[in-house]
Amino acid sequence: MSHSRTIALLAVSLLALPIAGSADQLRAADPAPAADVATRIDRLIDAELTATNATPSPVTSDFDFLRRITLDLSGRLPSPRAITLFGLNPDSDKRVRLVSQLLESSDFSRVQAKYWRDVIFSRATEVRSRLMLPAFEQWMTQQFEERRGWNEIATSLLTASGDVRENGATALIFAQGGSAAELAAETSRIFLGIQIQCANCHDHPTDRWNRTQFHQLAAFFPRVRVRPIRDSSPRSFEVVSLDVNPRSRRSNPFQDSGRIFRQLDRNRDGRLVKREVVNSRLNRVFDRLLEQGDKNKDRGLSLAELRALPQPGNANNRRLDIEHFMPDLENPASRGTQMKPVFFATRGQTAEELSDVKRRQLLADYVTSSSNPWFARSMVNRTWSVLLGEGFSMPIDDLGPEREVTHPDAFKLLCRDFVDNDYDIRRLVQVITGTQAYQRQIRDRDVADSAPPFAATSPTRLRADQLYDSLLAVFGSDVSRRSRGSRSSSGSTQSRRRRSPQGRNLVLSLFGFDPSTPPEDIAGTVPQALFMMNSPLINAMIRAAGNTRLARILGRFPDNDEAVSEVYLLVLSREPTANELKICREYLAEVGDRGEAFEDLMWSLVNSSEFLSRR
Amino acid sequence: MTSSSRVTLETLSRRRLLQAVPATAIAAGSVGLSDVVSLRADQLRKQGRSVILLWMQGGPSQFETFDPKPGTTNGGPTTAISTAVPGVQIASTWTQTAKVLDKLAIIRSMTNKEGNHQRATYQLHTGYVPAGSVKHPSLGANIAKQLSDPAFELPAVVSTNRTNGAGFLGVDYEPFVVGNPGQLPQNVATTVPVSRYRRRLGLLGRLDGEFAGRGGRVVAGDHQRLYKKSSRMVLSRNVTAFDISGEPDSLKQRYGDNAFGRGCLLARRLVESGVTFVEVHSRGWDTHQDNFDRTTTLAGQVDPALGTLIDDLDSRGLLEKTLVIWMGEFGRSPRVNPQTGRGHYPRAFSVALSGGGVRGGQVIGATTEDGSAVAGDPVSVPDLFCSICHSLNIDPRIERLSPLGRPMKIVDGGQVVEQLFA
Repeated sequence: MSHSRTIALLAVSLLALPIAGSADQLRAADPAPAADVATRIDRLIDAELTATNATPSPVTSDFDFLRRITLDLSGRLPSPRAITLFGLNPDSDKRVRLVSQLLESSDFSRVQAKYWRDVIFSRATEVRSRLMLPAFEQWMTQQFEERRGWNEIATSLLTASGDVRENGATALIFAQGGSAAELAAETSRIFLGIQIQCANCHDHPTDRWNRTQFHQLAAFFPRVRVRPIRDSSPRSFEVVSLDVNPRSRRSNPFQDSGRIFRQLDRNRDGRLVKREVVNSRLNRVFDRLLEQGDKNKDRGLSLAELRALPQPGNANNRRLDIEHFMPDLENPASRGTQMKPVFFATRGQTAEELSDVKRRQLLADYVTSSSNPWFARSMVNRTWSVLLGEGFSMPIDDLGPEREVTHPDAFKLLCRDFVDNDYDIRRLVQVITGTQAYQRQIRDRDVADSAPPFAATSPTRLRADQLYDSLLAVFGSDVSRRSRGSRSSSGSTQSRRRRSPQGRNLVLSLFGFDPSTPPEDIAGTVPQALFMMNSPLINAMIRAAGNTRLARILGRFPDNDEAVSEVYLLVLSREPTANELKICREYLAEVGDRGEAFEDLMWSLVNSSEFLSRR
Repeated sequence: MTSSSRVTLETLSRRRLLQAVPATAIAAGSVGLSDVVSLRADQLRKQGRSVILLWMQGGPSQFETFDPKPGTTNGGPTTAISTAVPGVQIASTWTQTAKVLDKLAIIRSMTNKEGNHQRATYQLHTGYVPAGSVKHPSLGANIAKQLSDPAFELPAVVSTNRTNGAGFLGVDYEPFVVGNPGQLPQNVATTVPVSRYRRRLGLLGRLDGEFAGRGGRVVAGDHQRLYKKSSRMVLSRNVTAFDISGEPDSLKQRYGDNAFGRGCLLARRLVESGVTFVEVHSRGWDTHQDNFDRTTTLAGQVDPALGTLIDDLDSRGLLEKTLVIWMGEFGRSPRVNPQTGRGHYPRAFSVALSGGGVRGGQVIGATTEDGSAVAGDPVSVPDLFCSICHSLNIDPRIERLSPLGRPMKIVDGGQVVEQLFA
């Protein structure tokens, strides 16, 4: 992650050029074919690699390409049959054709929906928002199936209202509990790739954005609320607008203290005592009022004492505010300064006082406007990073004018192509996967290496859904179904059956991670390793006897070398190397029992780092 | 392991010594007894301390636990009993705890602002209010990072429920969640004989070497470390610390034959074996309805477990080095609602501490007569966290960089409640 300061400065000066000050002028009448753009990107990257004496890694084999692209676009391993057919296909354009085909399959939409589910919900500050996971996935899948542009999807996520179980677009707002500050932070992070919330408490020491700008962004959200839907079954919530200050509707017992005092002071002695207020709204709080306001300790309140009391109750209740206030750091108890909505990236603002829906629509317009370069940069950088294991700028959600960008020309070209093609995500993926940079073999990067990236790709961990679907692809059966019948080391079969979650949920809860985390920060956990090594579920499926994949392979291929090849094809989507074949032969000889040795081989491959990685 | 029914101070320290010194070194005679003794001062100073957090999920009522107000409207029908400490009374359902109150310090003047379960749970676990931008490490992870021995075979942080994680401190301090306290954790037992398991690990190592040679060196290296750590736990004899079945029935009865009681007994065993931070959950304290019946039932589980835990730790000489914390995310409202329940109330609530150098038998702070506010010596969440760090000789101002490069202290603000240790 350490790049030189000069690159950073260079990147700043290059990025300072407006990317699409007026994108309409830049927009080509007829967009270039994706393959052409990919070639131009490769040329830019290669020029820089040559300039820094970096040797690009060769293009992957068909085996590696097929596994990589199928995991990326379809979220699972390719079948052994698909691997064989792809290898035998003589078509020189077969990779491009395969990409087009995978982009059209419904798997692509589902994989994207699951990815964005993790992006949004990994940072949820409202835990109950998990109840809408299925609704979000369904909605997001539909957006991709209907080929919605990223600008349209972003707009829906920012402006959604209604029942969270019925409208999956409410995900972002529900995940942050409707909190204006959290929504400002997540809007900026997800759609602009900018961590402006650091400016929540203080002006950022190194960034251009300041605290006022963060709270101006929050001022687009003060009227959005998430509330439970009464008597809903199953329990649900709704995103609603609060456009009228409830304080003005609700009569405040202290609003007219003189009138209240006269009404309650029945004996007209100029002081209120407990006896006089028992039937009034003051009864509940009277003891506390006495404690705070009874200056002369006569167990009663005079009108002067009542008026001197601090305004109780909702005076400082932010839930009732319909405007956003920036807290006063010197005086945290005070209300702070009311903020007007201003969009920091383009300085977009309005003089009008807008309703919740109009405010959020205005923000969505500002965010997705072609005059806001960060919207495209953020998505391009993120998508590139998912597909190549590293972004032009890292971490992917911490861009900004002061951040370094590698290969700035290639980045700029991709951003422009994304804007010119109406933020079409499929097109973006098509261009990126068409580059040689995407198709390079993996290689370890030297930690001390200061050369720009993309001379090779780096292996990354499979996301939990990819892992689960790959397990399904290997074992060919519903993992969850098998997990029910299996005996556990702890607890009886029956108690396991009751508590055992669905297989996917089990794998998701064990292997899930926030996809915005830089790949090098994602580490395995002990329970993951224990699950892969010792779970009765995995161990039942690798058995050499019964109706398992392995049993069928062993039955079909009496020759050990052939059986080893089949197992490798199934689990790692490639043939074994000569050395691996040698290790396997030795192991078979050492163990003696063929079934036992193959079970151990299956176990080892499923537990290998290669199986868990995108290579 | 040793005969756990009769563990004296002497057997205990020997067990701890054995963890501090590689077994092979002792077997080979290369480490003499005097070396062992001098090693002890060095290593055990750090390794010996641990924490057991008894988490009362939902927000326990202070009125029905450590701050009863018998005879007042807000106090409800709850009565109080005398304790081992003259003049200090607690709710009458806490009979076993009352007997060991001389070893407990009660803070009746906790005060906070978060009245939302998730946010307050996050805050009382990490010391920080939640922010989407950064996952703060839990206190357990922070403590384990400071105190745990990297060579120890079991996880440094264990919890009986899902709880706040290590945040940016990473996998080594992630809590290991035990779904069924008292039994071996899921998937920790091999499904094949140990000899075959070892053979499999050998094959895995050889085959993974191939991937390392083809561009996966870093990935395969990390993977190997993780598998080493995990398989060390699988093969460790220490793993039996998770299994309470060998404990005497009488002791199991005293702790209570329920998840919380078993969790507390497990906590003692884990701390004894060298685990740094154990969290045991008691669920159901969110008593919006039937507060009095429900808190009585809950006290019936938590009270014997808490009393027995303190006794058990004390009689094994573990209490001095083990800090026991009893708390939830907030307290409950003074007013009793028409469903005889109490609402959330962060403004004034109670926390209890024992061991770890805390002077028992004292009450810190008080609430007003109606229980609605702190009457003196207010203690904030950062104050409490600073005090916990103090008990463990950890500097609460140690800073680490969050992933965005922002320095973050273990505890931000607050100060040690000196009276706890005076």
